[in-house]
Amino acid sequence: MLHFGEHIRQAREALQEQDRTFSLRQVAARVGIEPAYLSKIERGIFQPPSEDVIVKLAGVLGEDKDVLLALAGKLSSDLQQIIIQRPKLFAELLRQLREVPDYAILRVVREVRDGQW
Amino acid sequence: MIELKNDELLIQFPDVHEDAVCRVDFQRTLRIPDDNRDYPLPPGLGRFSVEHVEDHSSRLPAAWVERGGVLLPMYQAEALWINFSSGSSSRRSISYPFAVKIAAGKINAVTGDEWANGLAKDPQDYLVVPDQPWLDGFCVQKGLIRQFVAMPMGAGYTAEEQISGFAAHGGIQIIVYPMKRDRYEKLVNRTTPLFDPDICYSLADPCESVSMGLAPGGLMRQEIYEDKYGYDAWDTSRSSRCFIHILNSAQWEIVTGKSVPRKPPSAADYTKAALPWFEYYDEKLCPLSGAKSLAGLDSIGAKSVKLSEKPLSENAPIPEQKVIQINSPSHQIKEGNW
Repeated sequence: MLHFGEHIRQAREALQEQDRTFSLRQVAARVGIEPAYLSKIERGIFQPPSEDVIVKLAGVLGEDKDVLLALAGKLSSDLQQIIIQRPKLFAELLRQLREVPDYAILRVVREVRDGQW
Repeated sequence: MIELKNDELLIQFPDVHEDAVCRVDFQRTLRIPDDNRDYPLPPGLGRFSVEHVEDHSSRLPAAWVERGGVLLPMYQAEALWINFSSGSSSRRSISYPFAVKIAAGKINAVTGDEWANGLAKDPQDYLVVPDQPWLDGFCVQKGLIRQFVAMPMGAGYTAEEQISGFAAHGGIQIIVYPMKRDRYEKLVNRTTPLFDPDICYSLADPCESVSMGLAPGGLMRQEIYEDKYGYDAWDTSRSSRCFIHILNSAQWEIVTGKSVPRKPPSAADYTKAALPWFEYYDEKLCPLSGAKSLAGLDSIGAKSVKLSEKPLSENAPIPEQKVIQINSPSHQIKEGNW
């Protein structure tokens, strides 16, 4: 699995090939951080930034915020809240789902119930 | 399987193909004047809030709970359009096609026929997504629809009551069929790659009066396109369907505990603010003829005259609109590197 910085750099450079506005400087400006800071994050010199910055980066680069947070070793605050409200239940659920394949997990998500009509 | 995420229905067929993801949301919009002039497409003013019916089952009529599905709030005489999109291959410029059948009060919005599961090819009773990016109303003739406008059930205005004679269902019904896997893969392989790969409102008294249906409103220029893939492209052994109940906005807070949405602006106020309307045509696709049974419906304006009821407010003609032409994605010019 790629490190956070490496993933960000590859995603940004792939976009930059199609659109020059994805330069390091312009992406940093859109996220609201210094270009030098983004450069150091991309090169792995600095640790991944805060959740807010990661979410903004995901928005600018068209990446999934949960995937970026996971690469950064973080869990989004809304997921933390969900787990904290029912910690035992969710801890047990997540442990049980650890080995379950993706298609089977998709089957346990909450579906819109179809009834008689 | 259908999930509800961010007020959007996410309809997935992971056992058919990983790209087989269809998205449907319901957009708030202006009500166009019901004056028999035809109008361009109004804007989207954001998604309607959507909730699972079962989360509010104690405050809803038993029939709603039995049908399942979701609910959304609409004011009386408020308009709506349905927005479609679909998942795409990560390396190709093609989105997964779906056949989508839409009904209001179990009256098909394309043919005017009563609801049946399954697809019919003659006349075509479904839309093809993503060729059809949205649907704003009942298909009354080639290139013209009558806008979906919410009216209370039992007052005689809805398409359902005018065609079936009963106020039994209300709401919106939707069923989605994915394209067959092998047909999609052929399409993907024929398409130029994007990148070169080698490079009721009280607990004690839930009642039906909260229920709304869709009635035909003003005329709008919108084409409903013929299926360019052919009937046998669709995997009719797989489908997902959903009943979308329409709850009168006045009861939304009581039923869901969530704040009532603000009323949308009037078409006149919107136009006065110099905000744009839209036109969308895809000249590569053939529009369907409208349904005679839908063309024969009374619009809300005509019905209120027949019933000697108060006419719709804010229904004055909008003489001039600023119209923006939207191209289908296949016509959009790609900006390169320079």
